[in-house]
Amino acid sequence: MTTTRFSEVAACQAAAAEGYGAARAAANAGRKVAGFMCSYAPQELFHAAGYLPVRILGREGGATLADEIIQPYACSFARSALDSALANEFDFLRLAVFSHTCDTMQNVADLWRRNRPEMAVIVVSVPTQTEGAPARTFFRRELQRVRQAVEALAGPVADDALWDSIRLYQKHRAAMRRLYEVRRTHPGVISGSEMLAVVTASFFMEKQAHLELITRLADAVAACPEDTPGPRPAVLVAGSVCQNADFIKAIEESGCAVVDDDLCMGSRSFSLPDPPDGDPLESLAEIYLARTPCPAFHKPGFDAAQHMLDRARAAQADGVVFLLTKFCDPWFFDYPYISRTLEAAEMPTLLLEVEQHLPAPAQLRTRVEAFAEMLRGRVASWA
Amino acid sequence: MKERQSLMTEQERVPIQAYKRMKEIMTTYYGIAKMSEGTDQKIAWITSGGPVEILYAAGIIPIYPENHAAMCGATRIADELCAAAEERGFSRDLCSYARTDFGSIYTKKSPVPGGLPKPDLLVCCNNICDTVTKWYQELQRIFDVPLIYIDAPYQYGDDRPEAIDYVKAQLEAMIQSVGEIVGRPIDRDKLDETLEISERAAALWREIQGMLAHRPAPMNSFDTFIHLAPIVTLRGTELCIEYYELLRDEIRQRIEAGIASVPGETFRLGWDNLAIWYKIKELSEKFAAYKTALVVSTYPEGFCYQAPEHLRDPNDRLRTMAATYMGGYINHGLDYRERDLLRMVKQFHLDGFVMHSNRSCRAYSFGQYELAKALMEKHDIPTLMIEADMNDSRAWSDEQVKTRIEAFIETLAARRN
Repeated sequence: MTTTRFSEVAACQAAAAEGYGAARAAANAGRKVAGFMCSYAPQELFHAAGYLPVRILGREGGATLADEIIQPYACSFARSALDSALANEFDFLRLAVFSHTCDTMQNVADLWRRNRPEMAVIVVSVPTQTEGAPARTFFRRELQRVRQAVEALAGPVADDALWDSIRLYQKHRAAMRRLYEVRRTHPGVISGSEMLAVVTASFFMEKQAHLELITRLADAVAACPEDTPGPRPAVLVAGSVCQNADFIKAIEESGCAVVDDDLCMGSRSFSLPDPPDGDPLESLAEIYLARTPCPAFHKPGFDAAQHMLDRARAAQADGVVFLLTKFCDPWFFDYPYISRTLEAAEMPTLLLEVEQHLPAPAQLRTRVEAFAEMLRGRVASWA
Repeated sequence: MKERQSLMTEQERVPIQAYKRMKEIMTTYYGIAKMSEGTDQKIAWITSGGPVEILYAAGIIPIYPENHAAMCGATRIADELCAAAEERGFSRDLCSYARTDFGSIYTKKSPVPGGLPKPDLLVCCNNICDTVTKWYQELQRIFDVPLIYIDAPYQYGDDRPEAIDYVKAQLEAMIQSVGEIVGRPIDRDKLDETLEISERAAALWREIQGMLAHRPAPMNSFDTFIHLAPIVTLRGTELCIEYYELLRDEIRQRIEAGIASVPGETFRLGWDNLAIWYKIKELSEKFAAYKTALVVSTYPEGFCYQAPEHLRDPNDRLRTMAATYMGGYINHGLDYRERDLLRMVKQFHLDGFVMHSNRSCRAYSFGQYELAKALMEKHDIPTLMIEADMNDSRAWSDEQVKTRIEAFIETLAARRN
């Protein structure tokens, strides 16, 4: 655990380090806990039904149980989460929620269901194409089905309760976006590792408690004098999950300051717009489809490279580090285009291919060091 | 002497005659498409499970990069093309069809001289995988032409009515968009007619595969991999029907004449997943040497999928079309797959299954270990798992596969006794 000047960050670091401890304790005390696999799960629905939603992550170490039922060319995130499930490490979950995203998760959901028959599994069929009336209509109906499935497990979910949850999540996401915002002007005040701990804690803690922490934290950061990352070049980190905090730490220890991210365990989780009034399911359908898409989706008109370039520039990043999980097809298909576009726009990039269940390899540090040196050279030559 | 003679005839395999006609048809198809490049004739690139009938009704020539990639695999230029894509930053772990396609676009190397004709339009339907989503997004960046995307939600249980409605709504929108692209509305009668031609072709293709249930099998799965090119690329044309009538008649004659695809057929197996295009001949010979016939495969079966009766609406052609385009085996969960594999075991009198664990096809492959386990534990059906890749031969190990096949046949023989 790194030292921090903020007690709120310390609380998040503790929650992130504790992992499922609190959820397990809550479950033992009679609370229903639901695990969700991906940021496309409409957590509001489960929260409104009385569940404590926690994010399903894998862990460091081997996946010998998962190896029995899935090939080694599945990504390490999928294999390690599945392995944890097979090892019964998720026995405190009453429900596992998958969302349809990539080919791997599509089958992992089924493998999980067939091999953990005592646990309820709901797969949310999020439309892959996110634009247009047909997708919205379909997703609204799908959410209706999901609501009925949840109600069958946990009892009726009233519209009022659902709205309360929707508003709470809306506030939480807005507070997270504000924290990301104030961090841009204070990159020396709050590090990338600290931010990752805050994000990770949001997946384990009660939403309200986390909301209070980050609201105070954003105020505290904003109250500090504006600063710069100092002599270290600033980078934006892009990728999907980052279940191993070691990766961000290694990048920072190797000479870069992580000033922003385009991670699914990061800013993308909080990119949903505010929900419009009216029918709650309609509202949920709309915001989940309007969010910054995960690369597994098709959002006509969305330019992933331009989006990343805009984000990197807004954060005054000197470069972009792709932290991609081996065998993550959606990201690796986009990578050549995005990196080419960024490079053409004078935004240098570095590709780090990682395995989520392994510690950061020594070679990762060497490559980040070289990248940091190159970025420093560029910045010096402009001066 | 007599014994030796019978041994000789036993070893002789009689090739399928229709193959020559198919080669002609495919050469003509690609030739005409290539000649149309740069003319007023519009060309669309479309995924293998895409709703092609709308294109035919609009007079657009469909081109299937997947079929083309398989041709590159079978003619053994795929490795080089994959490497060309990798040089441009595409990971070696990505789908080898996509890499082959990108590589062919960059290098213009292809069994079709000069490479595939450029598209005016892209049509992507994710009823076969979500990899095509990313593949076609890249194609759109390369060619800068419209991309029509049809989202067919993956089904874990019975096909959901809201998903079928969703596909129908997208087909309606596609009919509109394609009409705008060609500058005239789609003739709905022509579309209905094309749909009917497609259904007849699919029925013929199903009938032909069904004939392999005959013992000994008149044709094997390695042949069906080759002979599925017309159902993939020409579904919706009369030519497709004409070809499969020819093939069906030949297979019928082979049954009547007692011609076995594998003389002395002893074991019968099913095949799961795509073909291993660069090893079709070798694998066919290898299994035949063990008097083992592969008689059914989930892969060619996928191309005759039609919506089941209870999802068809005679008064709503487009909704029936949507139900069909929800797709079969690979757009369904593992319970569906297990049921379908069992059906094949019974219908085709199988001794076991060969599963091609296809390194670059995650949609098809993940679940195979589980299915193999279920087949053995619940139904006492053995499985041979072959770790390979459909197009990238760099993932192939001759020795490992040879040993596994031998061991598997020994198991089958031991189970017989």
